[in-house]
Amino acid sequence: MKLPRFFAKKRGHRRTGSQVWGSFGDGLFHAVLLGAGVVFGGLLASGVAVPEWRINHDFLPTSCTVVAKGLERHVTLSAPGRAEPTWQPCLRVRYEVAGIRRESWTRPSAGAATADRTLALTRLSSWRLGEQLPGWYDPSDVSRVVLERGYNWWMWLLALLLPGALLAFGGAGVVRSVRRWGKSEERRAAPSRLSGILDPLAGGPAQAPDHPGVPAGDDQVNSPGTQLRYRLPIESPENWTLLGFGLFAVLWNAILILLAVGAGLDLLGGRTDWLLIGLLVPFACVGVAGIVVFVRGLVLATAVGTTQLEISAHPLRPGGTYDVLLAQGGVGRFASLEATLELEEQATFRQGTDTRTEKLTVWRQPLQAWQDLQVTAGQRFEGRAVVSLPANAMHSFASEHNYVRWSIVVRGAPAGWPSFTRVFPVVVFPGVDGEGTPPSGRLSEAAP
Amino acid sequence: MNQQGEGGRQDLRVLLQFCRADRRYEPLAALRVRYVVEGLTDDQPRAVEHSVLWYTEGKGEEDMGVHFFERLTERASLPPEAAAGTFTTLLPPSPLSYEGVIVKIRWCARVRLFFSGGRDFVSEYVFEMGRIPPARPPRAGDA
Repeated sequence: MKLPRFFAKKRGHRRTGSQVWGSFGDGLFHAVLLGAGVVFGGLLASGVAVPEWRINHDFLPTSCTVVAKGLERHVTLSAPGRAEPTWQPCLRVRYEVAGIRRESWTRPSAGAATADRTLALTRLSSWRLGEQLPGWYDPSDVSRVVLERGYNWWMWLLALLLPGALLAFGGAGVVRSVRRWGKSEERRAAPSRLSGILDPLAGGPAQAPDHPGVPAGDDQVNSPGTQLRYRLPIESPENWTLLGFGLFAVLWNAILILLAVGAGLDLLGGRTDWLLIGLLVPFACVGVAGIVVFVRGLVLATAVGTTQLEISAHPLRPGGTYDVLLAQGGVGRFASLEATLELEEQATFRQGTDTRTEKLTVWRQPLQAWQDLQVTAGQRFEGRAVVSLPANAMHSFASEHNYVRWSIVVRGAPAGWPSFTRVFPVVVFPGVDGEGTPPSGRLSEAAP
Repeated sequence: MNQQGEGGRQDLRVLLQFCRADRRYEPLAALRVRYVVEGLTDDQPRAVEHSVLWYTEGKGEEDMGVHFFERLTERASLPPEAAAGTFTTLLPPSPLSYEGVIVKIRWCARVRLFFSGGRDFVSEYVFEMGRIPPARPPRAGDA
């Protein structure tokens, strides 16, 4: 029998894994999860759920009299040669089954096992000899009697949640693998009613209605502008970097403080741990550096002032013309402020075990530039520009690993501060006839 | 044209003919493809799949979107009884064919023949949708 090859040739120059082996591995992984879910669910059902359900549905009521009581001792080995006893209150009760008197030991759940023998004795003293208690016995094993009924909801939740998740995730994966097995890539990629249910994470970014491959662009139209129709959202990956620096500084310095307090207490107690003190010095240097980098980033991000961009219409169309309002807040002088329209390609690919993303600007058009601006407190700078898209411009494109993105990029050079770049993504829809015939009229608005 | 299959099928060919000789289509236009299967041996196909799809090419992992798909399994519609076939679809408004630098979008029509034992043979013909000029990185003085 000829086995499928592990590697197949992809378009371009990179080799990719075999789809057959990939599907097999994917199916095997999910089958293991499904099997774990079945085993785990079975154990929890037989050990917890079924006995509890039987007590509440099958056991018959009776009246019990306490005739003896004691502590049950369990010994567990926590370490070699070290035994740890626990104590469980037990009651011997007398009850009648079909006119026949019976006696059995039972463990009341109110007297849970404890390692404290005194506490267990105190609990045990809450039951008196000769006391009448309601009880329920097992009709299939009359020597088995319980003194409480009801459900332990926490255990049921655990019994259902964990195996349920394994069963759902593993089962969906197995069904998906079986459905895909032996099918062509076109048949697998063709949309079906079940594809969204079986593989909810697949499918890539949200797409515009009736425009496959074009991003939806809902974020661009959910905020009205002050003078033009929409205020465009800013793309700010540097803010996530800043948040990362902040989290690192907080966590690192929290650990540092804990170690420093320990070293300080040692010193006060007359002991000197030179190794700990020696370690604290480079740790403190990294901690201080973390704070400096975070504070510097925070100052740079907030000191220059916010940049806002408004546009007269959205989405954009090839050949269309749109008014843009650029507003720059803050205080101080700007050597320059410029806005450009840019088209960027982005490709995500795997290299070994890493996932890498490459971006490349393939088209750039200057929109407007301002020199030597003075921005004062309470009065932001406002400048107008016009965006004219070429009639044969490519539309925005978004798939799982590849993007073609349009954006208006604002670059500023504030006096005394480093230059900044702020990106405002826009979505360009395809033209009506494939070349980008502009919609009738000029899509611009006059300021009110 | 791109044809590939599993060993021992050097003579097999699936020739596709588009309703437009230059294979250039506008969005929302009708696409009609006629194909002929040549060089079949005793091993006869048990299914044929027709598809019209786009895929990405370039630096990134390949993404794909199937616009049209049909699978024929009736003996009367399979070679050798039906050595030629056609399929027709209305193209969508997007995505347009794009010759970028690190991202490219290609449209193609495929005919895939399935033989016993799970072996298959696929023939793919690329066509253009839209008229987007190729992209190029801006030079230093462009901005």
